[in-house]
Amino acid sequence: MTQRASGPAAGATYVFAVTRTLDPAVVADLGGMSAGEPVRTLPLGSLVGVVQSVPAHDFTDEAWQQRLSDPHDLERCARAHNEVVSASAAYGPVIPLPLATLYLSDTRARQALESEADRFHAVLRRIAHHAEWGVKVYSSPAPPPAGADRPVPSADRGRPAPGAGLAYLERKRGLQQRREQCLEQSLRIAEEVDAELGKLATAARRLRTHGRRPSDAQGSQVLNATYLVAEQRAQEFAELTRALRGRTEARIELSGPWVPYSFISEV
Amino acid sequence: MSNVDFRTGSAPVPGPPNANLADILERVLDKGIVIAGDIKIDLLDIELLTIRLRLFVASVDTAKKAGIDWWETDPALSSRAARSALQDENRELRDRLASLEEGTEQSKETPRT
Repeated sequence: MTQRASGPAAGATYVFAVTRTLDPAVVADLGGMSAGEPVRTLPLGSLVGVVQSVPAHDFTDEAWQQRLSDPHDLERCARAHNEVVSASAAYGPVIPLPLATLYLSDTRARQALESEADRFHAVLRRIAHHAEWGVKVYSSPAPPPAGADRPVPSADRGRPAPGAGLAYLERKRGLQQRREQCLEQSLRIAEEVDAELGKLATAARRLRTHGRRPSDAQGSQVLNATYLVAEQRAQEFAELTRALRGRTEARIELSGPWVPYSFISEV
Repeated sequence: MSNVDFRTGSAPVPGPPNANLADILERVLDKGIVIAGDIKIDLLDIELLTIRLRLFVASVDTAKKAGIDWWETDPALSSRAARSALQDENRELRDRLASLEEGTEQSKETPRT
């Protein structure tokens, strides 16, 4: 993107992930973070890093701050990172590194990563044959009042009947109460869903719920959870989600399988 | 609406195909094993950015799917929309007033105050 006249392009090594073994061909055709250099593997003793050489001047803190504040750039980076990480899981468990993990050279990357080999192996053992599944539950929108829409007797088309003001206030109060009841019920459903799914999962985490969107007629998010689920339980997990959807009548979204991003750091 | 992929089998975790950007961001940005890199990227800022951008992105994603440009019509986000919301309310009030007046004139025995 940016062209700099600074001598021989200084390189940096961007690290996407660490895994036990990987055929370089699996990632060779991916775009990665920067056009030009291929995504490749970097041997790290008993492990393999998935890396790419990138121009250093494009990957400074400054450049990143700028990149991250542009929604389109951010999207491109996040998707590119995730694409390489996901592909790297082809032969077994993979540890994603946080977005923007950079070293000045392959040698520096090797030094830093090899010194963490024990930690990596421990995490790889824990997440082997597991995937992450995300579950979101939304509150149901407040139902329209049952027949309460036109309770005001109008004696005369022009003038409100006596008691119309009071009726109006009561209707408003009723609406507020129904909203609160709905939310309470949704929160109860969220807890129920989380508890049920948690039983099938090896580990569970709550993520921050996304804010309510102004136009979101579908209700707000009451649960944003993510679960570490063993491979052989994935089917069962999806079925349980479906069953919960039917039982609670709540909008429940399931996403996955993900590389277990959310279950890497809790060693 | 689910984004589920059952291409399991021998390849363990290929990642959901058309993953929602908000879902990717909340995993990619502040997750993963923490390893000190050579080039220091300010993670605190990233965290703050995440929150803000996640909201933005989540909204845009959903809106795009639903074919809505809410940021153009939401009074809190667009002054143009704020004006038009006021205009709408104004128009509605005028209509109601007009119909009320019409009703009152029909029942002439009650003088208006």
